[in-house]
Parts: sequence; C-alpha cells; structure tokens
Amino acid sequence: MQSLSRALERDSTIKYILIAPAVFVILLIGLYPLIKLAVTSFQDISMFAEDKTYQGFINYARLFDDGRLWESILHTVLFTAVALPIEVVLGYLLALLFLEKLPLKQVLIGIILLPTIISPIVAGSTWRLMFDQRFGPINQIISWFAGRDIELLWTIESYLVWPAILIAEVWQWTPFMFLLLYAALSNVDREQLEAAQIDGASWWMTFRRIVLPAIMPVMVIAVLIRALDLFRVFDVIWTMTSGGPGTMTETISIYAYNMAFREFEISYSSAIAFLVIFILTALVILLLRRVEVER
Amino acid sequence: MFNLKRRPFLTGAASALLAVTAGQALAQSAADRAVEAAKQYSGITLNVFYEAGLQPLDPKNFTGPMWEELTGIKINVIESPNDEMFTKTMQAHRAGSGAYDVLNVLPSQMPDLALAGALEPLDAFVDKYGYREELNNIAPVYRDNQMKVDGTIYGLPDDGDVMILYYRRDIFEDPDMMAEFKAKHGYDLAPPKTWEEFGEIGQFITDKMAPETYGAGMFRQPGVAKFLFEERFRVEGGRFFDPETMRATVNSEAGLKTFTGMLAENEWMPPGVEQWGFGEVFSAFLAGDIAMAVSWPPVGRWAAGYGKGTEALNWIPETTVADTIAYALPPGGKPELAAGFALSVASGSKHKEAAYLFAQWMNSEEISLQRVQLPYALRDPFRESHFASEEYRSRWPSAPEYLDILKAGAQTGMLDLSLLQIDRYNEALRQGFSRLWAGEDPQTILDDVAAQWDALTDRIGVDKQRQVYVDWASKPNAYPE
Repeated sequence: MQSLSRALERDSTIKYILIAPAVFVILLIGLYPLIKLAVTSFQDISMFAEDKTYQGFINYARLFDDGRLWESILHTVLFTAVALPIEVVLGYLLALLFLEKLPLKQVLIGIILLPTIISPIVAGSTWRLMFDQRFGPINQIISWFAGRDIELLWTIESYLVWPAILIAEVWQWTPFMFLLLYAALSNVDREQLEAAQIDGASWWMTFRRIVLPAIMPVMVIAVLIRALDLFRVFDVIWTMTSGGPGTMTETISIYAYNMAFREFEISYSSAIAFLVIFILTALVILLLRRVEVER
Repeated sequence: MFNLKRRPFLTGAASALLAVTAGQALAQSAADRAVEAAKQYSGITLNVFYEAGLQPLDPKNFTGPMWEELTGIKINVIESPNDEMFTKTMQAHRAGSGAYDVLNVLPSQMPDLALAGALEPLDAFVDKYGYREELNNIAPVYRDNQMKVDGTIYGLPDDGDVMILYYRRDIFEDPDMMAEFKAKHGYDLAPPKTWEEFGEIGQFITDKMAPETYGAGMFRQPGVAKFLFEERFRVEGGRFFDPETMRATVNSEAGLKTFTGMLAENEWMPPGVEQWGFGEVFSAFLAGDIAMAVSWPPVGRWAAGYGKGTEALNWIPETTVADTIAYALPPGGKPELAAGFALSVASGSKHKEAAYLFAQWMNSEEISLQRVQLPYALRDPFRESHFASEEYRSRWPSAPEYLDILKAGAQTGMLDLSLLQIDRYNEALRQGFSRLWAGEDPQTILDDVAAQWDALTDRIGVDKQRQVYVDWASKPNAYPE
C-alpha cells in the first residue's frame, strides 16, 4: 500500500491512467448528449423530414423573435420567484416547530416528508383530481365553509390555474426545504442562543446575527436546488393544465417539450434547451460566487 | 408417338392440379390464407403498437394468443398514449430501430407517416394474399378514405369510430315533457336535428330536471372538443381553407357560430363540463346524470349493459340507462368520423410479411367480426357484415337500432381534417379551446388560430399543402354535400 502511494507521488502519469476510465465514462454520458444537442441546434431537423442540413445560427436568432418563448420564460421566473420564498418560509417555520419537543416527532417527520418521495407526475395527477369540479374535495371543503355550493374550475379559469399549481408545488416540495433547514437548525450552537437571550437580544437580532449565519450554507444549497427544480418544472403543470388555458401556464420546459414533441421542431427545441442551460449555468455561477464572497 | 400422347396428358394433369390447388386457395378465407402463409415465420415475435388503455386487450387477451396458437408467432404489445403515438412511430422510423412491426395509425396522420416513409406500401401483399375482395367489403367511408395515400394502400381500415348521439328514451317520450316542450317551442320533443334544436332541448331538460339530470354533457376537454368543432363547423357551412390561397377560414362566421354555440351550451350543461372528456361523458350518461351525449360507439354498448360482468370493464360505473338508451345521428346528421385506426406495417420492420399477415388476419371478415364484439376492446363495427351480423344484432335488445345508426353514420359521416403536419394544426385548435373556456373573446381566439394555421401552411409550403388539402377536400365525406 505504501509502495503504491509512493509510486503515485513519484509518477503522476499513473494517477491519470487510473482515473481515465471514470473520466471517459463521465464524458461519454455527460458531454456527448451536450455535443449532440449543440450540433442539432445548428441543423434543421424536424420529425417530418430527413433534412439534416446545417443552417448556422438561424435557430438561435429565432429565439429572440419568439414571443411565446419569452412569455414562457417570464412565467417560469415569476413562478420560481413566488414559489421559492413560500417554500423557504414554510419549511423554516416547520423546522422551528419540530425543534421543540413534540410527541411522535419522528412519525410526524416521516409523514411530512411523504410528498417528496411521490413522483411529481403522480402528485400533479392527484392534485388535478383534488381540484376536479365533480370528484375533487377542494370545492366541497370550500362549499362547507361558504355554506353554499362553490364551483371553481381550478384548472380551467385563468385566475385560478396558477394558484392551483402553486399549491401543488408547495405541498410537494416544502418538506424538502423543511428537512434541510431542520438539519441545519439542529446544529445551531445552543450556547450562543442562550447567551443572546441573556443579553436581551430580540428575536430578529438573534435570527439575523446567530441563526441565519449558521444555517446560511445549507440554506443556499437548498435554495439553489429548489430554484433549479422550479426553473425546470414540468410534470406538475403538465398533468394539471398542459400549459393552458392557451399558453398561460406554459413554462420554459413545457414550451421546449411542445416544440419538440407537438410541433416536432427538434432543432429549434435544441436551441431552446441550450438557452435554458445557459440561463441555469449563469444562475448557479452567480449564486455560488455570492456564497464564496460571503465566506 | 408415345411422347405426343404423353404431352397432352401431362399438360392436362398439371392444369387439373393447378385448378384444384387454386380452387382450394380460393375456397380458403383471407384469415385462413394469412394463417397458412404465416406458419413459415413460426417462432418469431411481432411487436404490435397500440393505443394504451382498453384497445390493447384485444391483441393481449384475444387475437394474440389465438394467432400464436395458429401460427407459432408471438405477439408483443407495445402501448402508448394516443397523443404520443405519432411521435413514437416517427421516432422509431427516424432512428431506424425497427421497434414496431404492426402499427395502429390514425387515418388523419397517414399522409404524414406515408410521406415520411414510415409505412410499408401494402398493395403487393394485398394481391399476393388475395385480400382485395374482403377489403372491398369494408364500409365505403372507411375503405375509400382511411386506407390509401396517393392511390397506394398504407393501412387496413380497422375501426368504425363515429360520433353518435345517445339519448334517454324515458325523458324524450315522457308525455308531460313532450306536451310542455311542444307548447313552449312549437315542435316535438325528439332527437335534435339541428344544433339550435339541441340547445333548446338541452336547456329545456336542464330547466326541468337539473341537478338530477342535465340536458346534455359533451366533450369539452380541448384535445377532444376539436372533433365536435370540426363536425359542427362544417355542418354550419364552414370551410377550413380557401383552396385558392390556402388561407385559413376557420375564423369565418361558421367558426364563430360554432365557438359561441359551444360556449353557450356550457351554461346549461353540468358544472365543470369544460373538463369533460370521454370518461366523464360516458360515466355521466351511464349514471343518468345527462339526457344526451355525443361520443364514440363504445358508450352505446356499455350504456346498454353490454359487457357487464367482464373483468376488464369492472371500473365502468353500473349503467342505469340500459333499458332507456336510444341512438340517433347527432344534430346535422353528419357525424364526425373521429380518429379511428388503420392497421399498417412499419417500413422498418424486420418481419414485414409476417406483420402484414397478422394485420390481414385481424382485419379479415371472420376475425374482425369477433373483435368488434369484444365488450372490452374499443374496436367498432366497420364492415358491412358487422352491421348486418345476426349474432351482433342479438347481443342486447337495442343492438339492431345501435348497429343501424352506426351504419348510417358510416354513410354520412365526415372525415377528420387531414393535412401535412396535421398535429400542429390540431395543437393550435386545442389551445384555442382552452382559451375559450378561460373566457377569452371567441373571435380573437379564432383569428389567432387562423393566423397560426397560415404560418404553418407557409412554413410547410402553400403549394405542397394545397395539393394535400384539395385531395382531402375532394373526398365525398370531407364536406357535407
């Protein structure tokens, strides 16, 4: 063993030879699809024709003229901007609650985490049924409270579709935020909290000066993961509204899917996919850089 | 000398033998010929592509096992949701994967698939296995419109999908209702002949009987509402395109009348009807919640109680209208021949001949009659012999009336619009419906749909699309006479 590590120190070539297979596999799996996607985005492939001619940047130029695309990006950004803070706040409040001594705490945590292990497509279908006018319980519950029959078309009416999607999304992914924040809060230094309390620090000061810095690294990662997920959201919306009414709930992922598999514009949808990759990469770099600066 | 005598003898014997063999061959049915020829492929597996749901229970439970027993060829069923079938067929073709052998093809998509080279031309097989005569016995509307592209056979029409009006006899023949309706509207309460009558009758029944029973419940889910739109739009005098310019005319007066009519009817239909598709309509009709419905033929069978007790249909609600169901053509008398299926052979199949033989066998007079009577499968009568079958007509009390209406629908029915890249045109219409139910202005929506259709036509090529459209529009069942 010692001779192997000495050999590795002596000759760096061996290191590269040893890691080469793993790097090759990663490149094959990770990089090849990207290269293929890039190549396709410069071609003119549709499902209807054999044509594979290269057409330069035409698909990328088309991105700038495509109003429906930018509308779908706006929907995605707004949805992320609304859903993410709600999930963070609810997740944090739940985590705070569970820091206290509660009966059957572990069982309750298990139940709370259930939505996260459900496939998003199943979650979407379930919520579609929940909101269904005939069979769903949501309208019935509202009717009980209202004392009269309430007939809300949650997945049809333009003013209700986004709230319905938001409820489904928040229901499924708040527990994920709760889990990470609960773990982070459990590790906050108790002595510091007690010292702050003795010194008469307000709740806000304690949160801002002690709790937030302590949970920040975990929170940033949690927010990053959820922001990426929300930006790519597809399943829940697809099963609940298919992007409708019209294109009102069409997000960038749904638009890319529609372009590829309903409009059959393979090359153009590849260009859209690259746009998404560009946006998400920029977002990740920006966020990680900010974390580095704060450190 | 001997030779001279021998030659005529040999010639005669050969002729006699040929005549006997040919006679035997002709005496065989198309199904038998397919089985005999397919035996040479014993041991292979055919991948059969089917719409997911009840449809594949036919090859899984019935024809597949029977075919394997007769020929030694295994049937592997691959399922897909209906709206992904075109994409998956094209993907398999483009990838050259040979994933499918036998395909179920929506006739409206047949031109696209044929022009892309995804479908195998079948004329040579049809002739080789003497199937033309039995093909000719398919009801003309399906045979003449859902089989060929540019004169070449690409599919065997295999499903008599036609939208029929189902109504409740007990309500329509109730003396009090009849008298009151006549006094109010001045004509008899009967299955509506026009969409105006449909609106008046539906509103009347809702006013009298809701919330127990509403006047009607119709397809309103955007993906299927387009079938009703296409039918009603043409009944109202609409044309999809100007054949000279190929500019879309879907936003015409007929389009607006159809859109506003459908929207207005939602007011007296059950709450939430905007979400209704096939499942919602038939379950409501079977439960007695609606007095009228327009849907595909299985609703008429299930509502009459046919298939009750079949394991595969356990999920269907118990029918409460078995004794009261009646059948008619929808208002306008020109039902939509909505969707339907033809059996095709994938051009990338490694077993094209065996695939064709399975399709011929399934589609033959003998086997197809059994298939359309399977209570759980969704194949509907499509041959003259199906409509006339004494066996089928004795299946339930109102079966003769049911089959007669299906036959009438097969004569007057109207074809789904079929163009190059038709799915993209349908997608624009689908979005239009979801906007309509969300409360947007009907004319604005139709103008947008027309603009999207025009952009698509320009992209595909006006002349290219015109050729396909004119060919489609020239068929007798494209537009009302």
